[in-house]
Amino acid sequence: MKFMHNLVVVAGLLAATMTAKAEDQALIDAAKAEGQVVWYSGLIVRQVVTPIKEAFEKKYGITVNSVSMASQEAALRILNEGRANNIQGDVFDGTAPLSAAMEAGLVGQYVPQEAADYPAELKDPNGYWTGQIVQVTSPAINTGLVSAADAPKTFEDLLDPKWKGKMAWSSSEEIAGPPGFIGNVLSYMGEEKGMAYLEKLSQQQIANVPSNMRVVLDQGIAGQYPLVLSILNYHAAISAAQGAPVEWLKLESSVFTFGTVQMLKNAPHPNAAKLFLEFLLSDEGQQVIADAGYIPASPRVKAKDPTLKPEEGKFAVTVISSETFAENKDKWVGIYRKLFK
Amino acid sequence: MLVWLFIGLIALLVLPPVWTLLRSSFSERLPDGTEFFTLNNYALLLSEGRFFTSAFNSIVFSLASTLVSLFLGGAVAWLVERTDVPFKRLAWFTTIVSLGTPFILYVTAWSYILGRAGPLNDIYRFVTGSSETLFEVNTLSGMIVIEGFIWAPLAFLLLSATFRAANAEMEEAARMSGATVIQTIMRISLKLAFPAILAFSLFAFILNLEAFEVPALIGMPGRVNVLTTDVYQAVKEMPPRVGFASAFSVVMLFIISALLYFYGRISRYAERFATITGKGYRPRPIALGRARWAFSAIILLNFAVTLLLPLIAMIWMSVMPYVQPMRLHALSFATLQNFGTVLTSRYYLSLVTTTLIVAAVSATVTMIITLLAGWLAARRAPGGQAIDQLVVIPLIFPGVVLGVALLEVALRLPFPLYGTMWLIVLAFIIHYMPFGMRYTYAGVLQIHPELEQAARVSGARGWSILSRILVPLLAPALASGWLFIFLLASKEMSLPLLLAGPSSQTISVAMFDLWGNGQIGEVAALGLLWAVLMTLFGVAFFVISRRQTSMTFGV
Repeated sequence: MKFMHNLVVVAGLLAATMTAKAEDQALIDAAKAEGQVVWYSGLIVRQVVTPIKEAFEKKYGITVNSVSMASQEAALRILNEGRANNIQGDVFDGTAPLSAAMEAGLVGQYVPQEAADYPAELKDPNGYWTGQIVQVTSPAINTGLVSAADAPKTFEDLLDPKWKGKMAWSSSEEIAGPPGFIGNVLSYMGEEKGMAYLEKLSQQQIANVPSNMRVVLDQGIAGQYPLVLSILNYHAAISAAQGAPVEWLKLESSVFTFGTVQMLKNAPHPNAAKLFLEFLLSDEGQQVIADAGYIPASPRVKAKDPTLKPEEGKFAVTVISSETFAENKDKWVGIYRKLFK
Repeated sequence: MLVWLFIGLIALLVLPPVWTLLRSSFSERLPDGTEFFTLNNYALLLSEGRFFTSAFNSIVFSLASTLVSLFLGGAVAWLVERTDVPFKRLAWFTTIVSLGTPFILYVTAWSYILGRAGPLNDIYRFVTGSSETLFEVNTLSGMIVIEGFIWAPLAFLLLSATFRAANAEMEEAARMSGATVIQTIMRISLKLAFPAILAFSLFAFILNLEAFEVPALIGMPGRVNVLTTDVYQAVKEMPPRVGFASAFSVVMLFIISALLYFYGRISRYAERFATITGKGYRPRPIALGRARWAFSAIILLNFAVTLLLPLIAMIWMSVMPYVQPMRLHALSFATLQNFGTVLTSRYYLSLVTTTLIVAAVSATVTMIITLLAGWLAARRAPGGQAIDQLVVIPLIFPGVVLGVALLEVALRLPFPLYGTMWLIVLAFIIHYMPFGMRYTYAGVLQIHPELEQAARVSGARGWSILSRILVPLLAPALASGWLFIFLLASKEMSLPLLLAGPSSQTISVAMFDLWGNGQIGEVAALGLLWAVLMTLFGVAFFVISRRQTSMTFGV
């Protein structure tokens, strides 16, 4: 019986792959007819964008016109293109521009087949977005300045007077920044205790660094701030592998979120966009993400350092998706502005 | 007739972004794209609880940074142009290299040098044995110092053109009548250069008042707020609140107009300061005697703070796998890998060409436009006043606001400008017109109208007066202006980040990408190589333009 069951599953899978292949060919042909895909990307060019661009071009003969931009510029462009009814981009990545584009109703729908076996929390059932990079945010210390014994182990430890004026985080109002940290505290401690804790934390004079999490971490490594809150754990791991004196910390709960990729509604090259999404989420695309030291969203591709993920690294997380964030944004950002700015 | 066509051209460049600015300052956009009229953006500007503290900080910051740049750059410019001080070439070299150095790298280097783990505090701790810091960089003083250093090369370039063309007869007469060098500077040189100094101060004051980067990167972490801090925040929000930033710009437009009105009154009698007249004209340097070595300390100080120190910090960052304190034992980590990566990458090579074309075309067109504009304005030709007002307007645009305005304009044009390098060129022309104007306007003011009158009497018409009298006499100012805009445009970040398309990415976009992704060593290596390239360009250009100038002035 068990054997039969397995057989059915295998047969089902085979059928699924075969239909997928048939659909793929139609998609590939249509994409080739369009000839190019325009990709607005905030990913690092030399390590991620260029390898993906070259691999895709080689495989399909379709040009990837990548435009490198920070999330704010991506949002401004997409909103402006949308307003002028003149969409030029096809695919864009990043959670922050996604939220702006979603509000404006500019995101296209497509459910990538390659993400069929991705964990449910990493993809939108309506196909608006799919996670491509898993992100865990946590505090980190400069190990040259802070001993293992002195490193905070709990949220409570962050209230120690010795950290006053010595901590920093990004001023970016996004999941990986202070609002996500606040959401994590509130969900872990509960509203009342959480708010009391945040009130106390706000007395610690945390420096708001007006840049992204990576730059905040770099300031930690440089020794400007021995303790930084809310950075991406893979960034700490990448730097530590280069010998930098940095270690990310597992407090009672870390934030689990993900970087997404999505296409634009009214994209000028819709089929190339879909094919490109498939490629980004395929083993080939995800391997490039993994090679750069990030955590691939695909369950089929292994991260360079698997202990960065909650299961393998054995740490607790609060999952905050784009949707959770959209629902709570006003509240969390409000708390951040009121208490910490 | 031609004058009005010209005014029309400038208006066409400047006014569409102003219109977008005004509209967005009075409107609020719902997420679905519908707009409605509101005064909210203006109300928010004033309702800010710390408005007065911020305004006070802004004024202190702008004034003090202007003085830092003026003192450093101005002193060096006078010494280099009017005296026989040693190390003149070093002063030029310093200016060119520091202008060619990407801004992001410069600020990063300085915040490292003055930072808690940087060499300054390191030395302090080493000497005193304390574990505290001597200097906190994230303070108002930190902001002033860094911002002041950033614009010192501008002071040098603007004022050196002025001092070079100043008639030395008066200084010589003073010296012969027994005035000391200091008296000569105070009572002759400074007074003659007064319009140019005032023009620079006003200009730098406005630039500092509107500065985003230093207040944000240096001031915000230390909770020092200036007027632009909130605007910066609003622009960084998701989606960015461009309306709020626009309201700020509109308020700035009024402040700047007021400042310019007073400036106009002061410089009304500018003819008094005209020193290039029809008489024999041959600037000769003042002999400082033994004091020349003492004065050279100023040149060396300028060299140290605007070039040497940040350069050392950048080199350190570029050979380290990550940013760390300067320690001897860290040298074992040193690697040239970052340079190798940059030099072997095809990606960077392709960006270099685009950047050079964009910067050169922008600088050339801007200088041509502002040559005409500066001449008409300085000579108070019919429409000259209007030109002066129009050309200065782009000063009020923070990069992001101008970028958004041009995005909107380009997306609605019937021809495909969006995403091409010409859109960036257009943005740069608009953005740098006020800079070019400062060079040409101050330059023309120094040339006595009698030269043009003589030409006119001899039968020359507008065009030949321009090409045969003004352009040769203005050559130093034009050359300095061109070089300045070329160097600034090739490293400017906010506009290309917003306007570049797939085939028009510039080198600064690549730098921002690396910086934001933690590749500081690679940014430093790329930035240093870029600065070397820019220096080669600058020096070649400088040598050629010097030769031209000598032919005109017979020096």
